[in-house]
Amino acid sequence: MLICPSCAHVNPEGATYCEACFTPLPVMRPCPSCGALVQASASFCGSCGFNLKAVVQNPANMPVGMGMSMSNSELNPELPSPVPEALPETAKTQLQILKAGLLHLQTNTLVELPSHLSVIHIGKPNSVIPPDIDVSGFPNSDIVSRVHADIRIEGDAYYIEDTGSSNGTYINNLPLPVGNKHKLRSGDRIALGKGDKVTFIFQMVQPAGSS
Amino acid sequence: MQIKLTCKLSDDNLNPSQGLNQRQLAIAISARAEPSQEVPLNLCLILDHSGSMAGKPLDTVKKAATELLHQMDWRDRISVIGFDHKARVVVPNQPVDYIERIKSDIYALTAGGGTCIDEGIRLGLQEMAKGKTGTVGQAFILTDGENEHGSNERCLQFARLAAECNITLHALGFGDYWNQDVLERIADAGGGALAYIPNPETAEREFQKLLKRAQSVGLTNAHLLVELEPGVRLAELKPIAQVAPETVELSVNQEDNLVAVRLGDLMTDRERVVVANLYIHPVAEGTTKPIAKVQVRYDDPSAGRTNITSEPALVVANLPASYTPAIDPQVQTYLYALAKYRQTQLAELKLSQGDKQGAATLLQSAAQTALQMGDRQGATVLQANATRLQQGSTLSEADRKQTRIVSKTVIVDS
Repeated sequence: MLICPSCAHVNPEGATYCEACFTPLPVMRPCPSCGALVQASASFCGSCGFNLKAVVQNPANMPVGMGMSMSNSELNPELPSPVPEALPETAKTQLQILKAGLLHLQTNTLVELPSHLSVIHIGKPNSVIPPDIDVSGFPNSDIVSRVHADIRIEGDAYYIEDTGSSNGTYINNLPLPVGNKHKLRSGDRIALGKGDKVTFIFQMVQPAGSS
Repeated sequence: MQIKLTCKLSDDNLNPSQGLNQRQLAIAISARAEPSQEVPLNLCLILDHSGSMAGKPLDTVKKAATELLHQMDWRDRISVIGFDHKARVVVPNQPVDYIERIKSDIYALTAGGGTCIDEGIRLGLQEMAKGKTGTVGQAFILTDGENEHGSNERCLQFARLAAECNITLHALGFGDYWNQDVLERIADAGGGALAYIPNPETAEREFQKLLKRAQSVGLTNAHLLVELEPGVRLAELKPIAQVAPETVELSVNQEDNLVAVRLGDLMTDRERVVVANLYIHPVAEGTTKPIAKVQVRYDDPSAGRTNITSEPALVVANLPASYTPAIDPQVQTYLYALAKYRQTQLAELKLSQGDKQGAATLLQSAAQTALQMGDRQGATVLQANATRLQQGSTLSEADRKQTRIVSKTVIVDS
């Protein structure tokens, strides 16, 4: 079952174009570690946290730009593949870099948190505070305010606070009062608006190879 | 006259590791041109001469109509119906030989009264029936307003009746106050084109375009017959649509694995392209999988034969052990055309529900789709309207007509 990001039509399994509006649907493929379906462009598996970019796949299924360092150049002959940032040093440095992400439950989409920001705005396009994470593409995003919530990064800690949304923010099904900060732990459930319609699971993922 | 039929899959290779493969089958159908066998035309002009057409609009329409006569063959037949809130025969069905007399009858039309499109269509069909044998029946309906004295439902019934009688209805909207939903449905049900005449100056060009199309019709009453092989099924929602020369959602008759769709007439210079959305189980013995058997049933008026069935075309997909995509770029363009139309339709639905932002987003996707298929003009119109909505203003009547036309067709400047 695939929900069209453009018109929210529910498509049957196997659909590559939305039956209603013919928009190309996100390409899904199974996670090599746990078998759950993940978007082809995803970096990490949403259900087991496996680092999808670290796997060299057979070249046919692989989107351009996913060629990894150990692939020889003929895998991607047309593209002098941009050097992946993380990989070269994984052999030497064993830094415990945890990557944070939000897994959108309704569509099983992983949204990575931008690592260069200390405050990440969640919402929908607007002229006052443009969102760093734009949820307008998800189904039922009409219940999310344009300026909805912020994630603050202080050291290793991630905090979420509601920035005066109309329909509220719920952490693990409990309302988060405006002005309160909640320290996020991996696995926390964040619902934007009422009714648990736009829901994210906060995840801390350890990039594979740095165990 | 012979038929030309080609079938192509969006991707010839199936992916065996996926449970179900979605593929689109594009079927292009046209008549093979044979100059010795031109079929006489049975043309009917159904013209709105209600009060709002007074002055320049009616004058240019009359002029455009009489211009058509000079380009018709003496064996062709013409009839003209004028309608306001009632309809009357202006030129009875006759061969195009006494052009001057026909012209003076057309010029005698005066503007006045209301609008009742259904009466016009009804009388037009009646008049065309008189010249039915051995001809290609084509009607142009021109109106500039809402069907205030008639019933839109009755219009559609007549349009379907026309299709059953093997007559193609083309609809022309004049000015900015016609109802694009009603005229589009008439043209779709009647198997014809929807044309927009934004100002009197363009009337003649639109008439000429439609006449050219009508004259290129070689075969009529075509039905597409598709027999789906085991393990292949149609999509649940809107499985079959026409994407060229204009986009039309087709109604599908399905019995078990047999699918029938009415196409209408077939032209010699332009293909009708139909896209069927299929789901395929990638399981078969060997490395190929049969998908479908495609046939066309049609009438050949030049030979006086009806219910001819074409040779079946077999559609087969490859089932390689490891999957590599083999995307067909042409079919891809057809899919963009369909996406552009459907995204615009959804945008209009959102707009009618008062959701301007949602409509703007969808119009923007449609503009992007238009760009991907190389339809720059369409993209410009759609993007301009998306921007207008984003800025909080509304779409004018003219904007809406233009949107409908660019979503349905690709405008080619000649």
